[in-house]
Amino acid sequence: MTSNIRGYLNVNLLHEKKKGEFIIMKKITLLLCAVLMAFCLTACGGKEKEISVDTAKLADELLATVTSDTLSETASDMLPSIYFFEDGTIDSGTAYASSGATACEVAIVKSKDAKNTTDIEKLFQTRVDNQSELYASYNEGEVAKLDKAIIKSAGAYTVLCVCDDVDKANEILKGYGF
Amino acid sequence: MKSQKRKRRRRQDRLVLNLLIIVALVLVIFEGKLVMTMFTHRSTSSQTVNTDTSNTATASAGSVTESKTDNNTTATDNGNSGSLSAGSSLAGFPGNIETSPSKTASMSTVSDPDSPAIVPKAASPVDDSYFADAVFIGDSRMEGFRNASGITQGRFFTSVGMSLSSMASENIIQTADGNITVAAALSGGSYDKIYIMLGTNDLGEYDWDAFRDGFVSVTKRFQEIQPNAIIYICSVIYVEESKVSSGEYINNANVDKINSILLEICEAQGYYYLDLNEFLSNGYGALIDGASSDGVHIYPDYCKQMLDYLKSHYVTADKPADNTTADSTTDETEAGTEKSDGSV
Repeated sequence: MTSNIRGYLNVNLLHEKKKGEFIIMKKITLLLCAVLMAFCLTACGGKEKEISVDTAKLADELLATVTSDTLSETASDMLPSIYFFEDGTIDSGTAYASSGATACEVAIVKSKDAKNTTDIEKLFQTRVDNQSELYASYNEGEVAKLDKAIIKSAGAYTVLCVCDDVDKANEILKGYGF
Repeated sequence: MKSQKRKRRRRQDRLVLNLLIIVALVLVIFEGKLVMTMFTHRSTSSQTVNTDTSNTATASAGSVTESKTDNNTTATDNGNSGSLSAGSSLAGFPGNIETSPSKTASMSTVSDPDSPAIVPKAASPVDDSYFADAVFIGDSRMEGFRNASGITQGRFFTSVGMSLSSMASENIIQTADGNITVAAALSGGSYDKIYIMLGTNDLGEYDWDAFRDGFVSVTKRFQEIQPNAIIYICSVIYVEESKVSSGEYINNANVDKINSILLEICEAQGYYYLDLNEFLSNGYGALIDGASSDGVHIYPDYCKQMLDYLKSHYVTADKPADNTTADSTTDETEAGTEKSDGSV
């Protein structure tokens, strides 16, 4: 009888021990999962910051979406006075503007800090709003293009694209991670 | 049997003949265009070479005293020439230039070529730094110049559709906080040179006296804001009438009229007149064929030429930068007399 009780207690103790080990294992697994997820998230963030765009190539592709005008490259020194970038915020930029006949334009800007892209987007939106106001009394047909203006950011890059083929432009930008 | 063979041969001959005719027709219809294009291209390429010489030709036209009054003839000439070199992006004189060279020489781009207000070509051009303290005010054509000329210095207060009335009072100059008036924008800095290109959107204004008064009033206001600035008035650039769709009033007869008023204003107020049509005219009182997509806004190549023109046509502190010492002495005296209002 006593040996039976002892045997039963031993089995129970063994079971308890195994249960404890199982809980510890479970905790370790959860911890590992959390660490892995954290690593994944950090990795994603890092990737976005390190995005690199061949601006000349992107500009060339986007220029193909402008069919109503011939855009030409504007001297980079002129960009701050056209888009009102704050001093020291821009790393580099390229812009293709109209002969004056249409509202079409393509601008690609790389900010010194990816955090500045929100401000650049706001400035691009102001540019679009100002242009819309002016074109409304000059050439109303261009306002429709400005209404569909694309303003997007990826990493430290921000793009403004006022063009004729918006779908194609969006597709191109998607290919570059925008 | 023999007659059947003959018939067959005849049929075959006819078939061959028909085929040959069809081939010949196809060649004439489709290849004819190609041959025509080849010939046209050859003529335009020879015209392109002439572009450089056109600058000298039109520049020398400055010494011709004949005034331009026959604007209807000019328009017709332009129309004819347009068909000759269509499709060329950098063309020169029209194709019939060689047949009537004397006519080209007789066409002046200003109403008074001897006017002292016209800025002559300087002996040596300046570089972009000359524009560091300059402000450029103007319509979409000036905006196109900013966008495509490659200019790296200067401030631009431009607006599409800018006319005399909008330049005077409307909120048309873009800022980070919305649009403001030209005067307000001009007040925001200090400038030593003011370039104004205005008039294309006023070509439908036939009350020219009102235009003259309004223009003087606005420029005087600008002078008050920037009392030390030299004021350059750019001529209204010719248009390619056959391409213009924005209004019949945008024609070269009106361009000539408004330019003669602008020149008079310059003479009366002591401003300096930049005759951009000196290099943008096709020699017949119209814009060079193929210089613009819509007949109004010039292509980048011509914007670059305009920048070169501005760099080689400037005035120093109190006189035009003439290339001859003797002439400059005279000019200095004349300029000194004219600038008695202290504008320069």
